[in-house]
Amino acid sequence: MERELLGALIEAILLTARGPVTTEAVVEALAEDGVTAEEFNSAVEAIAVSWDRADSGVRFERAAGGWRCVTPPELDPYLRAFHGVAARQRLSQAALEVLAIVAHRQPVTVPEINFIRGANSSAVVRTLLDRSLVRVAGRKKVVGKPFLYRTTKEFLVHFGLDRPEDLPDPEELVASEEEPAPAD
Amino acid sequence: MRGQSGTGTGAGTNRHPEAGADPEALDVRPVILTRVNEEQLLVDEATGPPVELGVFSGPLDLLLHLIRQNEVSIYDIPIATICDQFHAHLEAMHELDLEVAGEFLWMASWLLALKSRLLLPRHEDEQEDPRQELVERLLEYRRVKELAAILYEKDVVRRCLWTPGFDAELPPGETELDWEEVDLRLLAKAYLEVMERFAVAHPPPLQLMPLRFRVHDKMREIYERVRGEGLLALLRDLHRRPDVDEVVALFVATLELVRLGAVCAEQGRQFAEIYLRPGPLELDLERLARLDREEAGDGA
Repeated sequence: MERELLGALIEAILLTARGPVTTEAVVEALAEDGVTAEEFNSAVEAIAVSWDRADSGVRFERAAGGWRCVTPPELDPYLRAFHGVAARQRLSQAALEVLAIVAHRQPVTVPEINFIRGANSSAVVRTLLDRSLVRVAGRKKVVGKPFLYRTTKEFLVHFGLDRPEDLPDPEELVASEEEPAPAD
Repeated sequence: MRGQSGTGTGAGTNRHPEAGADPEALDVRPVILTRVNEEQLLVDEATGPPVELGVFSGPLDLLLHLIRQNEVSIYDIPIATICDQFHAHLEAMHELDLEVAGEFLWMASWLLALKSRLLLPRHEDEQEDPRQELVERLLEYRRVKELAAILYEKDVVRRCLWTPGFDAELPPGETELDWEEVDLRLLAKAYLEVMERFAVAHPPPLQLMPLRFRVHDKMREIYERVRGEGLLALLRDLHRRPDVDEVVALFVATLELVRLGAVCAEQGRQFAEIYLRPGPLELDLERLARLDREEAGDGA
């Protein structure tokens, strides 16, 4: 496929797609038109770079293993004014903690989350379920068969991660901050 | 350890007169702070740090805050000091009528237990520091907080991103309904669905009708008529009666009388009239009436 047409097509696909678009999905759909993964990747990266400028209201970004079309965050107040919607609700400290635990230790149960946080987290987990940031992924085979929770694709998209493993290792974060004092 | 925990922590009460030289130090009133100002965290040895009620997401959060505030190592927590400060926080929470969650009380009692254990002389064979479990819990929780902080930074920026077709994502409650555009057919359909669901959820109650015809009454009626008239055309009689319940009662009564031998039933051929005649058994009407009364008494 001609490079010009491919570029236009990629823009069109990302503009009309609901979620992140993976290279595989595009290549599979356009196999007959002779679009290869390398062609797509280089073209989409070129567009992402070309749109990443101050006078553009569109950005291409990677999330959850694909590409998607978003607006720059600094335009949010104007967009909200135009569409007449309130600011999206911030995630509470408790919600962020629960998300951090689920992301780092998944699959994990509510009792395990409660233990790590030292506080009851069931209401928070429910909120996160409602917001599709975590999901139920079976039950743990222990007494009471508690639900196991995992993060969702929506979680990856929201936090701009390709995979859950892309979150930094908390061990490294803490290690750089403080060296353990020698125990007496 | 502060020795005045019993004197109350009323707002504005000067709990530490000996620190009067420094007016800043007098202010031990609980202060609600959403962000902890590092400048205010310098520990005053005489008074202890002012009680600050930040937004703590749990007892471990408060404990980490106190450890940072006191500039002590997480691996060597001065339990007595931290325990007292923890309790001061709980008291302040009570004063402000904040609901103190159970997990805070649980942590307070754990700290008290640790404090008392540390006061006792340690056994020779006791290798493990009693604080070990608490330290591990705190370290684990601190990792979670670090990760949560990273997620927070991302959330702040990324919840301002918009994507194509965003309006489809808005929950229906937030969109304003244009009444001109409401499809009446859909509205009616929705109404019917709601009513159907309601009907399924609320089946009509079982209605118990009053007992209008008693088999025993009908038995007496037929018996007396058969005895009096000598012959009774049953089907003709039944057809005359409009009430199905009465027909049923009458028919059952007839069967019962035939079974007892009080009346005889004759039928010339199939589907022909059924004639009732007096049977060999003489029915004790008094007894029947008595049975009736007893039955009615049971039912009442």
